[in-house]
Amino acid sequence: MKDLSIKTLGAVTMVAASMALVAPAMADGKFDGVTLRIATWGGSNKAAIESTLVPKFEALGGEIEFVTGSPQANFAKLIAARGRAPFDVMEILDAQLPDFAKTDYLAKIDLSKVPNTKDVPDWSYNEMGMASWITQETICYDTEKFADLGISAPTTYKDLAVPALEGRLSIPDITSGGGLANFAAISYAAGGDLKNVQPGLDLIKELNVLKFWSRGGETVTQFGTGDIYAAIVHAGWCVRAKKAGHPVQTVHPVIGDMAVGVQKYGRLGIMKSSKNYEAALWYVNEFIGFDNQFALATNTGVFPTNIKVAAKLADDPVLKQMLALDPAETGKQLRIDYTDADISAWVDQWTRAIVTN
Amino acid sequence: MSTIDTETRTSGGIAPVVETGTATGIAPVPETRAQRTRGAVRWQTRQAINFWLKWIMVILAYVFLHAPLIVVIGASFNGGGEYAAIEFPPVSPSIEWYFEIPVGQFESLGLSFALAALASLSAVVIGVPAALGLVRSNLPGKALIGIVFRSPLQIPAVVSGIAFLQMFYLIGDTTGFYAQGGFIGLAIGHIFIAIPYVVGTVVAVLQRFDHRLEEAALSLGASPWRTFRRVTLPVIMPGVYAGALYAFMVSFGDVPLSIFLTAPGYVTYPVELFSALENDFDPSILASGTLVILFCLVVMIVVQRVVGLDALLKIGGTGKGR
Repeated sequence: MKDLSIKTLGAVTMVAASMALVAPAMADGKFDGVTLRIATWGGSNKAAIESTLVPKFEALGGEIEFVTGSPQANFAKLIAARGRAPFDVMEILDAQLPDFAKTDYLAKIDLSKVPNTKDVPDWSYNEMGMASWITQETICYDTEKFADLGISAPTTYKDLAVPALEGRLSIPDITSGGGLANFAAISYAAGGDLKNVQPGLDLIKELNVLKFWSRGGETVTQFGTGDIYAAIVHAGWCVRAKKAGHPVQTVHPVIGDMAVGVQKYGRLGIMKSSKNYEAALWYVNEFIGFDNQFALATNTGVFPTNIKVAAKLADDPVLKQMLALDPAETGKQLRIDYTDADISAWVDQWTRAIVTN
Repeated sequence: MSTIDTETRTSGGIAPVVETGTATGIAPVPETRAQRTRGAVRWQTRQAINFWLKWIMVILAYVFLHAPLIVVIGASFNGGGEYAAIEFPPVSPSIEWYFEIPVGQFESLGLSFALAALASLSAVVIGVPAALGLVRSNLPGKALIGIVFRSPLQIPAVVSGIAFLQMFYLIGDTTGFYAQGGFIGLAIGHIFIAIPYVVGTVVAVLQRFDHRLEEAALSLGASPWRTFRRVTLPVIMPGVYAGALYAFMVSFGDVPLSIFLTAPGYVTYPVELFSALENDFDPSILASGTLVILFCLVVMIVVQRVVGLDALLKIGGTGKGR
């Protein structure tokens, strides 16, 4: 018995040693021993990346670790660490770009090493960042409730300001992920602009909102419980509500004569403090590639930056119904340039007008 | 017109206060049997109302405290596949989400328990001598030292998190040892926020401590150390237990400080859940939350059986005021 155990142990050791010797040779080995740290959200976002990019990177000999958290939290860490980020690549929100522009935290991206830029629109990248996903901010409404109440489908934010919908609306809080983009869009729609958001605040007060959501997932639950009949939320949440069995539909709101629908987007930035620049470039390139963009879009309901994926999404009946996929439509959607926006003043005004009233 | 009240005993027990006469010289009208019966009925009704009001209040308080837990536990048993939302009561009962809990959450749970245990233990080791010093010494600036020990409660945890992160970078630049993003960094932060709870509860016990107990021990020949071990410590132990329990809970549930000190492989359970929820909702979070609730319940039952929750929570123990 003792001999058998020793023999077995010996055999196992030899097999393990052989595997250890053979495994690196089997891999490409381009990133042997590299641990790439990515600052991004947890949940389904991380799961989608884990299913596509992690196996590919591991096949090249490296390892990917995630520093999960919102871009706001990760930016706070970055500031606290005075730019010495505990990660190599970071997700950045469009509203954070002006703040990043004031810092020296990002490395320039060598675009010649990101060949997948051929499949993404020109506006979506430059040397300082690469758009990684887009959300289409919509009005998501319960078609059955609207029919019961005899209300026609909304086309503008103003259409939600009807007595029958009082206390039946959920819109993003200004501090939430979609808060700034939607607040800016509502302000434009109400006749204001980025310098004058008061008309937007007046319209929001007129809406008589039940809940200012801090996480889009709350609206899925609220549609389920029947608490709300409509929500201002990105199409991905409406997709999830639909797939959860709720009779909902999106509308891309008309914003004056300037746009139909609103977009918010995220960007990938490579940290200047990164010691894995080449691996980070690989990650950025693969992130905007077909496989990852398709997994992200179908798992989380975001709109892909990769135009080939956008065309492919038309095969999904729910996504086709909920997202604007035609380039002619998406080209009309509003993207907010926060360069001239005083976001602190917006938050102050919001707090005074909405929170304290 | 003043009245004279008397208490009348009936066969049913103490009867209500009944007005039986005046002080104006007019002879009191004798109370009839019917009046006495009506009074007793009124009194009994009032007692019954008080009794039920008390119970309704207790039940409402319990519902208020436990309703969120009941919703979490109930909703965790709702099936519905990938796109399920919070449904309570569950519309399609299932335990599928218990099999979908990511391994990372269990790892985080283990880290959080280890951190909380270390933080509460360290807080006791630091906090008890600190409390003794604060209450019994004649140190100049004692009040200021007390404020320093309480300061982790007054500084928002998010500020503490940023401060620790910057401090760790500063120390790392000087010594080459960077504590952030590892167990040591997290432990230092958690001990920092845990200490005030032990200091607070032990100080409260010591301020009501009957010094004659120690004097008696000393006068009977016990050494100061033996007196501390056999007299002082047993008396202040409920305060130590309570402080350690609070310290454990604060450390276990902390997000704002930990979020700055975590790194891959060292993510605490609340930060793991918070990060997952920031992006979307995954019902497996309800399932893992339910397991934690049940675990805490089991711990409470064990503590009740072994030590007794009363002993844990009765700050002051047997110490009497002077």
